[in-house]
Amino acid sequence: MFFCPICMKQVSKIFTTALVLSLGGISWLSAQEVLHADERINGKLVTKAFERQRVILQKSSAVIYTDGRSRIKSLYGMVMSPEGHVLTKASEISGKNTITMRIGSQLFEDVELIGVDEVWDVALLKVKSETPFVPADLVDEDSVSQGHWVVSNGSTTRSQRRVRVGIISAETREIKSSAKVVMGVQLGQEKEEQFLIKKVSEKTGAEKAGLKEGDILISADGIELKQRKDLLEAMKGKKPGDVLSVEVLRKSKKMSFEVELMAFGGKKPMSRNDQMSGGALSLSERRDGFPRVIHHDTPLTKVSVGGPLLDLNGKCIGMNIARASRVATFAIPARELRDLFERLLNE
Amino acid sequence: MFLAVNKERNMMFGVTKFFRVSGCLMGVLVVSLAADFVAAEVKVLPFNQQKVPKTTEDLIAIQDALLEHLDRVRKSTVSIKLEAGFGSGVIISEAGLILTAAHVTGAVGKELTVILNDGTELKAVSMGLVSDTDAAMMRITDKGEYPYVELNRDNDYKLSHWVMALGHSGGFDKARGPVVRLGRIVKDSETTLHTDCKVIGGDSGGPLFDLNGRLIGIHSRVSKTMEQNMHVPVRNYIQHWEAMEKNEFLGDGPFAKRPVKGSGFLGVSTSEVEEGLRIEKVGQGTAAEKAQLQEGDVITKIDDDEIKSKADLKNLLKEMAAGQDLLVTILREGEEKVLKVTLGQR
Repeated sequence: MFFCPICMKQVSKIFTTALVLSLGGISWLSAQEVLHADERINGKLVTKAFERQRVILQKSSAVIYTDGRSRIKSLYGMVMSPEGHVLTKASEISGKNTITMRIGSQLFEDVELIGVDEVWDVALLKVKSETPFVPADLVDEDSVSQGHWVVSNGSTTRSQRRVRVGIISAETREIKSSAKVVMGVQLGQEKEEQFLIKKVSEKTGAEKAGLKEGDILISADGIELKQRKDLLEAMKGKKPGDVLSVEVLRKSKKMSFEVELMAFGGKKPMSRNDQMSGGALSLSERRDGFPRVIHHDTPLTKVSVGGPLLDLNGKCIGMNIARASRVATFAIPARELRDLFERLLNE
Repeated sequence: MFLAVNKERNMMFGVTKFFRVSGCLMGVLVVSLAADFVAAEVKVLPFNQQKVPKTTEDLIAIQDALLEHLDRVRKSTVSIKLEAGFGSGVIISEAGLILTAAHVTGAVGKELTVILNDGTELKAVSMGLVSDTDAAMMRITDKGEYPYVELNRDNDYKLSHWVMALGHSGGFDKARGPVVRLGRIVKDSETTLHTDCKVIGGDSGGPLFDLNGRLIGIHSRVSKTMEQNMHVPVRNYIQHWEAMEKNEFLGDGPFAKRPVKGSGFLGVSTSEVEEGLRIEKVGQGTAAEKAQLQEGDVITKIDDDEIKSKADLKNLLKEMAAGQDLLVTILREGEEKVLKVTLGQR
């Protein structure tokens, strides 16, 4: 698969050329020389050097199941306290009837959901045990820098965690939401009815705020509405959960409402780069809209996020929260994670 | 001078082989010897002699080598803004010569925009390319002193060596900056290096470095698995260097389409007037319309050639290809204007 759309249709041509060349002799031999899979960056001989981190993941990461039989892993979690608090990625377990988990090789079938943080897409779970758990050792300082090795959960058997490794790839930063937001109203099609509310959808911000059929929008966040693009301008950069202040005319009376915006339903279309990244099978469905993330190049999939992100000292610098593309995995930094955990505990 | 350098380095190359069979202690001795011969910045990297890293110290050695060069190579990694989408490139001379991929520039003599990490946009023009290996050259035309990287001219990159890939994955993002990935060379064929450094759209044309911080390849394409990322080796650029400097289009695809003379289409009907050619009609959706040529404009010059008759225009276009840029000088309401036109496909 080529990067460039122009070249894509030519894929077969170049491979034929390569084959022809290789029959020529010298290049045939060199073309056959391939680094053994075990010696590649995530090959099993290389990951052996990360045994120290593997042992930590064995104790401080949780394997989370939602299949009701504790057989097929849904994702990982991160042990946060000796009492059995575990953080994981909320959207991957939401709506599931059963949640079970394994820490070390012990299976826990009684898992309590304590709370969810929508902004960070994190859920706090709790299990009970007679013996204390070993929480991940969060770093104190906020000193993530590019080019350093990082270690995450890779695949797992019932008794053995394995590692996947990579490096910090880019600046730690905010990942803005690409979700389209809506108020939950249908406006007229014709130009003279372009701000007339024809319908208010159920269970939307518009309904909750009290907007009614027949209202005419006159301003949004202080922007006077003259053309459709004025409304788009007012909603620009807004995330699900943000509030839009609107003014409407109802029976010639001016009224103000605060409308909570929500994500536009329906799945986002997969881009070319998304497809190059393995598409929906590999990528986390919720992979943007995070206030601050560490960006690393470890090749995880949506079922291997949720666990701790360790440095070479075995310290935990964050929690993997999304597989974002072929080249990027995002993690919540330790500083934010600690605050988030305390907030969820105290709620 | 080149020869001399090559000679010294070839020696080192031999030494390296020797080192591989003679074990670690010997290696230390050899390193210090080699350092006297070769430019100081090229080190023998012990981890490249190891089958795999075994201890945390081995891992730190890889990390340290990467970190030693990261800041410098990041600064030279640029994003290239295209009509649709982005590519990457790497600056290799102070004056702003850039290596990139042929499928990024797409053609010779094309005006492009280069974006530095701080967001500065610079004008650039594409130079020669090798359409069957995906190598291409371009240069920044805005005057300046740019941060640049060294090429690995020794061609001493080998299977299993640790490498780093940089690039503006998915396009320019100032808050993120260029993205760095670590991996190893997993296959090395004549015109393609394969690594397990994961690259994606937008990285095309970006640099691959050895852990001495020298350029060894340019990102070209990927296959579906995470471990097949393909790069054009720097030796392919060196092989075609002069031709690329001379703006030659080499090979016959698949990474760029050879311009066909006479395939360019302007999209105007004209009549001859005293000053030149008066535009009578501008075709819908044509190159002329996109460049905002209008009915009534009088074409007096294209690039440096004066246009007096329909035959002048015809003869000129016969030598031009679709996608080529022209500077068209016109008279509009008595005032002279110069418009840039990118020829369409006939």
